[in-house]
Amino acid sequence: MASSRLALTQRRWFPWVAWVLAGLVALSVAFVVESRSGGHRLTAARMTTIDTTGYQLPPAVSPESLRTSGQAVTMPHAPPPLFAPTTETSPQKIATRVTWYSLSVPPLPNDGRQLYLYIPRWKSDGSLAIYADGQLIHQSHANLQWNGSNEPLLIKVPRTDVSQPPRTLDVRMQHVRGIGGAFSSVWIGTYRQLAPRYTIREILQVQLTSFSSFAFLATGVFAFFVWLSRRNEPIYLLYFLTSAVVFVRMLHTFVGMHPLIISDAWFGWLTVVSPYWMVMVLHLFMAELHGKRQPLLTGAALLVSVVTTIATLPGLIDPTLMSAPVYASLLVLGVFVAFNSVRQSVRFKSRDAMLLSVWCLITVVSGIYDLGLQQNLISIESVFVSNFTGVGFTLLFWYIMFGRYIEALETATQAKADLARRLAQREAELTASHAKLREIERRELLHQERQRLMQDMHDGLGSTLVGALRAFEGGKAAELDTVGILRGCIDDLKLTIDSMEPVETDLLLLLATLRFRLQPRLEAAGVKLVWDAGEVPPLEWLDQRHALHILRILQEAIANVLKHSGAKTLTVSVRAEGDQVLVRVQDDGRGFEPAGLLPSGALSSGGRGLANQLSRAEAIGGAIRWEETQRGSSLALALPVSKSRRAVP
Amino acid sequence: MNMEAASSTPLKVALVEDDAAFQQAFRNALAAAPDLAMVGVAATVAEARAMLGEAPCDVLVVDLGLPDGSGVDIIGEAHIRWPGCAIMVATTFADERHVIASIEAGASGYLLKDSPLPTIAEDIRVLHAGGSPISPRIARQVLMRFRPDEKPAEEGAVDAEAAEKSGIPSLSEREKETLQLITRGFSFEEIAELMGVSRNTVLTFVRRIYAKLEVRSKTEAVFEARAYGLL
Repeated sequence: MASSRLALTQRRWFPWVAWVLAGLVALSVAFVVESRSGGHRLTAARMTTIDTTGYQLPPAVSPESLRTSGQAVTMPHAPPPLFAPTTETSPQKIATRVTWYSLSVPPLPNDGRQLYLYIPRWKSDGSLAIYADGQLIHQSHANLQWNGSNEPLLIKVPRTDVSQPPRTLDVRMQHVRGIGGAFSSVWIGTYRQLAPRYTIREILQVQLTSFSSFAFLATGVFAFFVWLSRRNEPIYLLYFLTSAVVFVRMLHTFVGMHPLIISDAWFGWLTVVSPYWMVMVLHLFMAELHGKRQPLLTGAALLVSVVTTIATLPGLIDPTLMSAPVYASLLVLGVFVAFNSVRQSVRFKSRDAMLLSVWCLITVVSGIYDLGLQQNLISIESVFVSNFTGVGFTLLFWYIMFGRYIEALETATQAKADLARRLAQREAELTASHAKLREIERRELLHQERQRLMQDMHDGLGSTLVGALRAFEGGKAAELDTVGILRGCIDDLKLTIDSMEPVETDLLLLLATLRFRLQPRLEAAGVKLVWDAGEVPPLEWLDQRHALHILRILQEAIANVLKHSGAKTLTVSVRAEGDQVLVRVQDDGRGFEPAGLLPSGALSSGGRGLANQLSRAEAIGGAIRWEETQRGSSLALALPVSKSRRAVP
Repeated sequence: MNMEAASSTPLKVALVEDDAAFQQAFRNALAAAPDLAMVGVAATVAEARAMLGEAPCDVLVVDLGLPDGSGVDIIGEAHIRWPGCAIMVATTFADERHVIASIEAGASGYLLKDSPLPTIAEDIRVLHAGGSPISPRIARQVLMRFRPDEKPAEEGAVDAEAAEKSGIPSLSEREKETLQLITRGFSFEEIAELMGVSRNTVLTFVRRIYAKLEVRSKTEAVFEARAYGLL
């Protein structure tokens, strides 16, 4: 059950159906309320007209003659207006007319309850005064032309001893001759009877457009700030401009009950001109939606809008009086732009642009209806439909922006996921290439290690064993120190094995190992070893290859001491000096001259040993120095602390 | 030593070794030492097990590479069955991997196979008297095993306490100092002088360190078995 409901709310059409249902419910509630309200509707009236010039104040008391003079009419009544009534703009000189409607009220029970008049709509383009039993009870006090005639009236009937309840109602309208002077039927009743009717009409005719205009403008301001930070997306600016123009256009539907802060002329100019700009910005907005700009059409629409805007400036053509031809030309422009936009939306497959342009067409049609209403061709108790299509524009714009917002969010989510995926992929690639590199490195290392051991075996153990073998074969075994040779071989082997274990930059550990290996031979030779190991910084370059070189150099040095010097004491000292470490092997024996041995004695084993020591020191970036001391000789092996430097002897 | 040797019965020494040459060398070494008596020789794991069923001896020397198994197992069994016997592993290179494995199994020293015969006899005497040899690399390895995993000091302290309770021993400061001096190449005599103790004390330190290493490895094995749900 729950899952099926969830599925329902996730259908694409669900929100639309929900909206339509909500609208239908609201409408039916309105109808029910309207049908349950009461009051008396007065439709029979007598109309008297008097031509005047300029505007005069209404009399305090209505003339008695109205009840009998004039012609009988049925309310709502609207005289057919002239298409272009006058070019005179001065209120003092303008040709005006006073139209009186006199209505008789059926006898109402005098139960002391407050009575109200409800007037759904009136059109004056001038002033309005209402009399009850001949006494003035209401009069318009705002501007002459923009006098809030779109707003329904709910007027309290004064409770005096003269009129309770009133028997007659007189309506006086002084208006420009040729337009205005239309009046709807009049309702009389108690508040409870009339308020529902009044409220529904007030909401539909005034508040709905007012709310939607303000709300649209508010989101427009938001869009404007979006545009400020995203200048390359003009659609946000166009949204703001549309909302602003719509707001200006809709002002006349909910202001005017009170005097305006600007003159009729300027307000009329704004009201009449703004729909041109509405068409203009809508055209641009839709072009942004379907993505195809049309400079020619835009230029033409701009030209029409600018010409109209300038021509209707106050002091030139009064747009309020000339509104019929002005609106007619607007309709032509609107139809043209809307049809073009429909065509473009189909061509470029833009759903949003299509929605908007279709709504534009609907607005044009409603504009034709409204023109008919404005020209009194349709019962003046009707309402201006384009006000509602204006609300529709607000909703459509919200819908479009909502779509863009959701799309942006989804794009962001998508981009994040995409980024994560790409990152993972890249990471995998890196790991793979890293593993490959490590494998190559490992193989290289193995190769190096093999090379190193081969070289070591070849130079050391191998040659010693071959030498011993040749001696045995030559029958000179007796001349050999067999045990010494074998012990030397084993020592060699042990040092090779030691060099295979990592020492991790610890030179002292390496030297300690050497001592551990050679100690038995020193003891056997009766040489006392003085171990003087000072503090030594870690040598980060000290790997197995380097370790074996160091071991061999010192092994050779100690072997030389044992072989040649006849020393009693051997001192091994380790010191850090500056940026290098000095390992010194010192004996108190006879001493020897390595420099003399080197060039000439290169063939002798000692000479070869020294050459080996030198080349090994070279290979690890170290240096060797032989010194003759007071007693015995000394070998100093200098090792750099850091690989980037070479040690100096 | 000589006085002791003269005043008491000779030490009973047994050997587990499959190499006939070393067997012979070992016999010769002991024959030259009146205070040492060869009481048994085994060439395989099986023979060694049989030998362990007999009366315990004072010193057992075990080679690791036996034809039918590893000498480490024999060391472990001997440590249990002959608790009073000092066990040595016979090795050519004293490489840390083999020696440490043997010590963890219960050995308390090693014998270098290429040592001169008198040295072999002397090493046996020293071991029986409570002294254990240690190479710089083994010292370093032991230090690393006992080093608390890189942790902040306080946490490490807590950890050490927990280890104490759990039965895993830790090294004392002096034991650590001894090991550090060994890794720097100093001999027992030199260390004794540097630390201001006798050579015997240094030997005792090493023996104690070996014992701790053994306990530690056993406890850890139990921990690991528990962690893997084997116990």
